[in-house]
Amino acid sequence: MNQPTPLPNPAPRPAGELERLEDVWRTPRGWRFLSSVNNTSIGLLYIGTALLFFVLAGILGLLIRTQLAVPDNGFLSAGTYNQVFTMHGTVMMFLFAIPVVEAIAVYLLPNMLGARDLPFPRLSAYAYWAYAIGGLAFFCTLFFGLAPDGGWFMYPPLTGTKYSPGLNADFWLLGIGFIEISAIAGAIELIIGILFTRAPGMTLGRMPVYAWAMLVVAVMIVFAFPAVIAGTALLELERAFDWPFFVAERGGDPLLWQHLFWFFGHPEVYIIFLPAAGMVSTMIPTIAGTGLVGRRAVIAALVGVGVFSFGLWAHHMFTAGLGVLEMSFVSAASMAVAVPTAIQVFAWICTLWKGKVQRGAPTLFLLGFMFIFVLGGLTGVMVAVIPFDWQVHDTYFIVAHFHYVLIGGMVFPVFAAMYYWIPLINGNRLSERWARWVFWLMFGGFNLAFFPMHITGLLGMPRRVYTYAPDLGWNGLNMLSTVGAFVFAAGVVLFTIDTVRTLRRREQTVGNPWNASTLEWLTSEDYGNRSIPRVRSSNPLWDQPTLTQEVDEGRHYLPQTATGNRETIATSPVGAEPRYLLVLPGDSWLPLLAAAGTAGFFLLLTMKLNLLATICGITAVLGTIAWLWQSDRGVPQREVDVGGGIVLPVGATGTASHSWWATIIMLVVDASIFASFAFAYLHISMRLQVCPPPGSALPPVQLAWLSAALLVAGSILIWLATRALGRRRMPWLALAALVCAMASFGVDLYGLRSADLAPSESAWAAAVAALASYQGLHIVLLMILGPYLALRGWHGHLTARSRATLDNIALVWHYTTLQGIAWLSTVRLVPLLME
Amino acid sequence: MNVNRANEHFFRRMLRAILPLLVWLLHFIFCYGLAAAQCTPAGMRPGGPDRTAMGIATVVALAVLAWLVWRGRGVLAQPSRTGLWQWTAFLFAALSLVAVSWNSVGILLVDGCA
Repeated sequence: MNQPTPLPNPAPRPAGELERLEDVWRTPRGWRFLSSVNNTSIGLLYIGTALLFFVLAGILGLLIRTQLAVPDNGFLSAGTYNQVFTMHGTVMMFLFAIPVVEAIAVYLLPNMLGARDLPFPRLSAYAYWAYAIGGLAFFCTLFFGLAPDGGWFMYPPLTGTKYSPGLNADFWLLGIGFIEISAIAGAIELIIGILFTRAPGMTLGRMPVYAWAMLVVAVMIVFAFPAVIAGTALLELERAFDWPFFVAERGGDPLLWQHLFWFFGHPEVYIIFLPAAGMVSTMIPTIAGTGLVGRRAVIAALVGVGVFSFGLWAHHMFTAGLGVLEMSFVSAASMAVAVPTAIQVFAWICTLWKGKVQRGAPTLFLLGFMFIFVLGGLTGVMVAVIPFDWQVHDTYFIVAHFHYVLIGGMVFPVFAAMYYWIPLINGNRLSERWARWVFWLMFGGFNLAFFPMHITGLLGMPRRVYTYAPDLGWNGLNMLSTVGAFVFAAGVVLFTIDTVRTLRRREQTVGNPWNASTLEWLTSEDYGNRSIPRVRSSNPLWDQPTLTQEVDEGRHYLPQTATGNRETIATSPVGAEPRYLLVLPGDSWLPLLAAAGTAGFFLLLTMKLNLLATICGITAVLGTIAWLWQSDRGVPQREVDVGGGIVLPVGATGTASHSWWATIIMLVVDASIFASFAFAYLHISMRLQVCPPPGSALPPVQLAWLSAALLVAGSILIWLATRALGRRRMPWLALAALVCAMASFGVDLYGLRSADLAPSESAWAAAVAALASYQGLHIVLLMILGPYLALRGWHGHLTARSRATLDNIALVWHYTTLQGIAWLSTVRLVPLLME
Repeated sequence: MNVNRANEHFFRRMLRAILPLLVWLLHFIFCYGLAAAQCTPAGMRPGGPDRTAMGIATVVALAVLAWLVWRGRGVLAQPSRTGLWQWTAFLFAALSLVAVSWNSVGILLVDGCA
């Protein structure tokens, strides 16, 4: 007979242990709450703000529907309507859909994985505040008539200075551009959190499907978002400095924008859908009371969708004049992605079939999701068929299709999730009676609003028109859609009232109201679980029935604060074996300050208030430096006993460290942005008969060799610095490396000036200048990092046990060298290939 | 007990599992890139994109994927004893085989740049 394995720690726990844990993790009250960085505080703020944007963008949707309710309506002028529909799409996509899925992950994932917090809590706080401050300011542009009005995908030439001379488009480009940076910060946090901070024993095979979904999504964000960041940078450069990337007369190409935008925009649809699918795969087994059917196939399907989604971007461009063969590849990929999606849908249906389904609010919304999403998916396959797409492109059929996909595939699951997980906040469930009203109003209203749009579209009504003539046969259908939209909104209003009512109720014991199997239903406080559980299956709360009690008694790992700081256990990526104690930073105002500075910098720059923008920019840099200055400090303890005879080192260095991997992911993002600029250069060059175009030239190749040699010299000096840790020469090596890097860029600039490269003359010259500018941006970054490194060395803040700053800056340095060599070779190789 | 730092070969395992998806991706990039490049002013090819090159790439990709499906067929015999990595590798191979096959339809039916 098998003996039960002894638990890692004995009970009862020593007196005062719990109090010390509570003290370290206590969330500040009153206005100091805003300095909190704990994932539960930031997660709730994040979710609340995202839902606020859902309501605000929803109101804009109602304005649109009011305007379109009857023909020849004068409720909104054409100009205002343009701003309203642009903001509706932009806010829904960028300020609601992406943030809300990241927000829910920030709130849920640490508990679901058995971690005390995410690995970079201050980064989460920074990402949230940058989004909240920037997003609200961006929304307020509507009240001043300054909101963007070129559609949510901002196609040039409409959004170029010729047709959009005002600041409206600039607000979109700078505002959304930096909000994307916030999303990327969140993605890095999630990847590291999922791979490095799972509870011991939670192997990749046992990891909740939701965590798998978020891992896939975060990786997708890393590769997809750089394209739109590069695109927005190019369009803003065109608008600000007349660099004609998208102006056909000067060798540019408006389609370049479409490629860059949709290379982000289509994966984004899955970036929104996959988290919802992950939530569905978590909720359905609970409401059916049985494990997820085909769990491994569902995980594989999530990864498959993530990869295939990068081959679909051009299906938004079927009418843009691409070659038929290219379109056929994209069409095939668009159909292929339906297969893994269908695997998930069948797995959900089979799970419901196999189990005994609990009736309740989450079930209603999950069934509603399946009905609506499957319809949206089917019309998706229809528009993947090129000739059909030619007929319905830019009509209301498309509007119907993507609302079925997005509201069905994301909003309904998010509502199901809120009914399911809101008890985690204060132990109270939302009203089941109200939920039935909310569901039927939303489900009925949704179908009433959007189903007729399929027909309106087939009858020829184009998107984005602010009104229509009465004799086109669209009147009744439009009126139905408007009524449906208001019915849907009534459901959202009821839900909001019920949520506020529920959250104001007295706190109760949370327990496990749905009899779920995942760890977020363990008892949780500010510090997460009392002890970090040892996991033995993919349904731990079902297969380990005494787990909650054992964890609450502090009998699993790390029931204390071992170093007097916030901590969690870092585990290995595959087997989740404990590796080291990860010391986490505490609450701070600095992320808020840095985020406010960043948001202010971008928004004020848009308004051409350069002095104020500079002040904000400096605030952001200083705030970030002050925040980083406090990090990477050693603690007295070298090792700690977390229970079960496991003694863990405190912190880790080099490739074992989570911060090293976070830097690597950040550099992958960086390289993807560079690759997007390189793609722009290639795309523009391929449109030329002769490259470089007549009248343009590249600097002599000898200068490129000199520049590359200086970069390599800088990297060698930094490598020597990493070997000279604790020696007096280390800071000087860093500064010498900086001199080399700056000299390299000086050579680049000299070469470009001597070649008389004029970026406003031709798109080709502008593309070269864009690559050079991106390299320049990195040199500016090194100009901050080099002295910072030297300063830390002089202050004795770099030691053998706290050397992450040095190692990570070295990574950035070597990347800059590689990127410098890449830009110098790219601009020369393409003309050679075209000869 | 000090922590055992045994290497889990995370990247090697991951690469082996997602190899079929990478085959699909490379095939897609090659075919799309070639078709796009040979229909631009700089690389215009009389008669349209080189479908022979694409056909060869497709045959190679299909062969590799068929081999990966064949190699992973054991998971069907004992699905309950198969680990996550083997299971996903098999499913990815099957999915990629379907996706590359669909891609090849365009190469068979479409020519020219229009």
